[in-house]
Amino acid sequence: MVEVIKETFPFVSVSMLVPAVSALLVILLKERYAKAISIVGAGLTFLISLVVLYLFDYSRSSAVQFYEEYSLLKEFNVKLALGLDGLSLIMYFLTTLVSLVAILWSVRDRQINTRLKEYYVAFLLSESFLVGVFTSFDILVFYVFYELTLIPMLFAIGIWGYKLRLYSAYKFFIYIFVSSLFLLLGIAAVSVQHYFQKGHFSFSYFDLLGLSHSEGIGIFLFLLFFIAFAVKTPLVPFHTWLPDAHGEAPTAGSVVLAAILLKMGTYALLRFNVGLFPDATIKLMPFMVAIGIITIIYASWMTIVQNNVKRFVAYSSVSHMGFIVTALFLLNYEGLRASVIEMFAHGMTSASLFMMAGFIYNRLHTFNMESLRGSVKFMPVFAIIVAVTAFAAMGLPGGSSFWGKFLTILSAREYSYTLAFAVLVGGFFSAAYVLYMLKTLFLDVKEESILIHFTDIRGFKLVSFLFLMVPIVLIGFFPHLFFNMFDGSLSYILRHILGLE
Amino acid sequence: MELQQLVGVIELPRLVLFLPELIVLITAFVLFTLELALSKERKKIILPSLSAIGYVLALMSIGVSAQFKGDTFYGSFTNDALGSLVKIFALIIALTVLAFAGRYFSSKRSFYGEFYYMLAFTLLGAMILASSYNLIIIYVSLELVSIGFYILTALLRGSFISKEGAFKYLILGGLSIALASYGAVFMYIYAGSIDLRDIFTYQGKDYHYLVLGIVFFLIGFALKIGAVPFHFWLPDAYQGAPTPVTAFMASVGKLAFFIPVVRIMPLVQEKFSLTWTLTVGVIAAATMLYGNFVALVQKDIKRLLAYSSIAHSGYILAAVAVTKDIGMKAVIYFLVVYAVMAAGSFFIVAMLERAEGWENRIQEFSGLRFNLPYLAFGFMVYMFALLGVPPTVGFVGKTLVFMALSFDQLWWLAFIVIVSTAISTGYYVRLVVLMYMKEKEKDVVVPQRSYAEALSLVLLTVLTIALAVVPEVIWSLVAPASETLFTR
Repeated sequence: MVEVIKETFPFVSVSMLVPAVSALLVILLKERYAKAISIVGAGLTFLISLVVLYLFDYSRSSAVQFYEEYSLLKEFNVKLALGLDGLSLIMYFLTTLVSLVAILWSVRDRQINTRLKEYYVAFLLSESFLVGVFTSFDILVFYVFYELTLIPMLFAIGIWGYKLRLYSAYKFFIYIFVSSLFLLLGIAAVSVQHYFQKGHFSFSYFDLLGLSHSEGIGIFLFLLFFIAFAVKTPLVPFHTWLPDAHGEAPTAGSVVLAAILLKMGTYALLRFNVGLFPDATIKLMPFMVAIGIITIIYASWMTIVQNNVKRFVAYSSVSHMGFIVTALFLLNYEGLRASVIEMFAHGMTSASLFMMAGFIYNRLHTFNMESLRGSVKFMPVFAIIVAVTAFAAMGLPGGSSFWGKFLTILSAREYSYTLAFAVLVGGFFSAAYVLYMLKTLFLDVKEESILIHFTDIRGFKLVSFLFLMVPIVLIGFFPHLFFNMFDGSLSYILRHILGLE
Repeated sequence: MELQQLVGVIELPRLVLFLPELIVLITAFVLFTLELALSKERKKIILPSLSAIGYVLALMSIGVSAQFKGDTFYGSFTNDALGSLVKIFALIIALTVLAFAGRYFSSKRSFYGEFYYMLAFTLLGAMILASSYNLIIIYVSLELVSIGFYILTALLRGSFISKEGAFKYLILGGLSIALASYGAVFMYIYAGSIDLRDIFTYQGKDYHYLVLGIVFFLIGFALKIGAVPFHFWLPDAYQGAPTPVTAFMASVGKLAFFIPVVRIMPLVQEKFSLTWTLTVGVIAAATMLYGNFVALVQKDIKRLLAYSSIAHSGYILAAVAVTKDIGMKAVIYFLVVYAVMAAGSFFIVAMLERAEGWENRIQEFSGLRFNLPYLAFGFMVYMFALLGVPPTVGFVGKTLVFMALSFDQLWWLAFIVIVSTAISTGYYVRLVVLMYMKEKEKDVVVPQRSYAEALSLVLLTVLTIALAVVPEVIWSLVAPASETLFTR
């Protein structure tokens, strides 16, 4: 049984309410206050998350801390059950951090010039819903937040996006909504299984952990859950919505989408697929690892041939998600650690890469890779940021993605050297596309007459980059700061749920 | 001696069980009389206010009648939790219809006094239909509701589509009642009783009569609720009817027509349960697929919502296929909340129709957010609710349907629900995208907005979200409604 620790002050629900209330204020007050209110709201939430990080008991990270529950429907045991265990904690921190960065970035984004109120409402609400996703310990409430995050993103892409925004918004919504209907069926079926085994319906995560499914039902339910999360993550046959959504979304939208929304998929795979159906997980593990490796390699190839820099970054995200899923389904300690640290690390680097694309677009008004040649030449600060991010994304030691990739290879080696080699090949391709991008930005020369007028990065945009650079370097050099958060949770999953090791 | 025996059998009806209906009945007759007597100017004020008073009184009297459970009128009228729940929502929606009707008709430059008493009679029919097991009473109240709807649909005498819709409805509606009563005859032959409870608990030998009876009865009701392949009247009638009437038909009409079917659910015995599941399941599958596919290509908003109504009949029928407690709860919840969503969305269309040059084309929704921000927001809520996006009632309804289907392991039907919802994403999201993400094409101004309209819309929109976020409120009505029927 998972240990539950209650807290007198409802930190989690407050960090959901603060952005929601700020959104309400943005609606009610005049448009010129919108930016200030949203920065304060998101900043306050970030501060709350820092307090939570400070108060969190790292020695018992497998326990659900800061737990609060409010009953919604007694008969079905639906509760608004919020809490943080180690795994939730890091995702929660990622959410508050990246949401703040997205809002800070938007303040000076020239692309955002109409309907400011709605824009900030969308981002504040999506922060609120995302906190809900990562802290819910009731599977139906999780689903509610999971779906709710779609709506602000639909609006962000559809209203403030680029040329093909309506097409992309449709595609994004339909893909995710339809796939999550399978999840809804799965959730309903799991609660019915609880009825058959325990005599009453329940949607509580803790209750559902105690179920044991027969082989057929277990695999069936696993797949119902998996379809939704595979589309969300995305894994390769289901990834086609992502380049479109990213290609057309406004910069901040891409940032939230890549850094947090995709992590909902992998987080849920670990929390629900692995947690609720351990037998099916072990049975299906080889297929999942295979899908992960296919995703890495296929997406890396697709990345190299992209012409549009945002689609380039989008495909690189897909390949990183491939690493996360591969590592996750290797089902050993190093693998799980690799996948969770990579979730956070990829959140940082992909956000930073999308902001770079947005920054260059503001200067050059194009996403075409060809016309970006040599574009960082007269912007030394920006060049440093680009280099740090790119090398971190590539997996260079000292960068954030190094631990993810290194530990994945290490855990694959426990099975066989062939598998480790396959992951290594994936890592090689991901290095290839990052180097290609660096070459384009730094080494290719363009007519200097256009470039010389570029002003370097400063102000709000520099601050928002710094918010990402600090964790990138921190993970690189002091990974244990982050591993400490969730190691306990992972070993609990491994030992008590999967019964391995 | 014989006379004494006869007198001894007579029992006084327990009118307290019948109180809400009685009040609506009196209201209807008063309205009818006043409509004849008053001058036109007076009617415009007095008839709606009197109807409103009557409905509010009836709503309050449910508080009294719900305290007493049981049968009256020799077992032909049953007052139970299910009936009370249906009546509460039927009366609330009827009240909101009143708020929209006056302005709607005056924007069409007409006034129909008969609207008010026809509405009251139809409502009465719906309320009785929702609380009877007696085949004769079901037949009579079904006729009452249907005739009311025929007349209300044809109310706009000058309009061709109104008459066309009403005529189609009349012909197919007549057919449906004929079939349902034919089915009732077979059931009577089987059990020798006109009470559904006796019929289904009767252990007779001639099953084929009962099966035949159920099939005809079901087809009759399938016609009324617009299930495929008996749906042909529905889009025309919904499009042709004055929009507040359409709202009433889609909400209260559907609610009432479903209830006799719901009442059969707990009575279906083990022997027929497979027949029942398959028949209802296949009709449900066809209904939701067809409704959603055809809605995808509609250009008229009322027809789109009509096909979406057909599709929703399908979702609800899917849960009817599961003759368990959870299935019944899903059906009741979904029925009630669909009534709220449908009424709200048609009311918004009714308001938009008053705008100059509005033709109900879907393209006209482009940029509605810039013209009418509040109406656009309300319509977005209804679209997301009909689609089943949380935290709206449509989502809870779909969850319950999924729970019911996985309870009976009807995975094929569950996958058809998923596929048809996937199809429906296309047109619901398109409306949201049009309203919020396209530039406006023209100015849309709704003249003479009233507080009653605004209040009704706010009420329905809040219900659409609140009944899902705080489900305990409605669940305290839904759960007993289902459980009392199952424990009987």
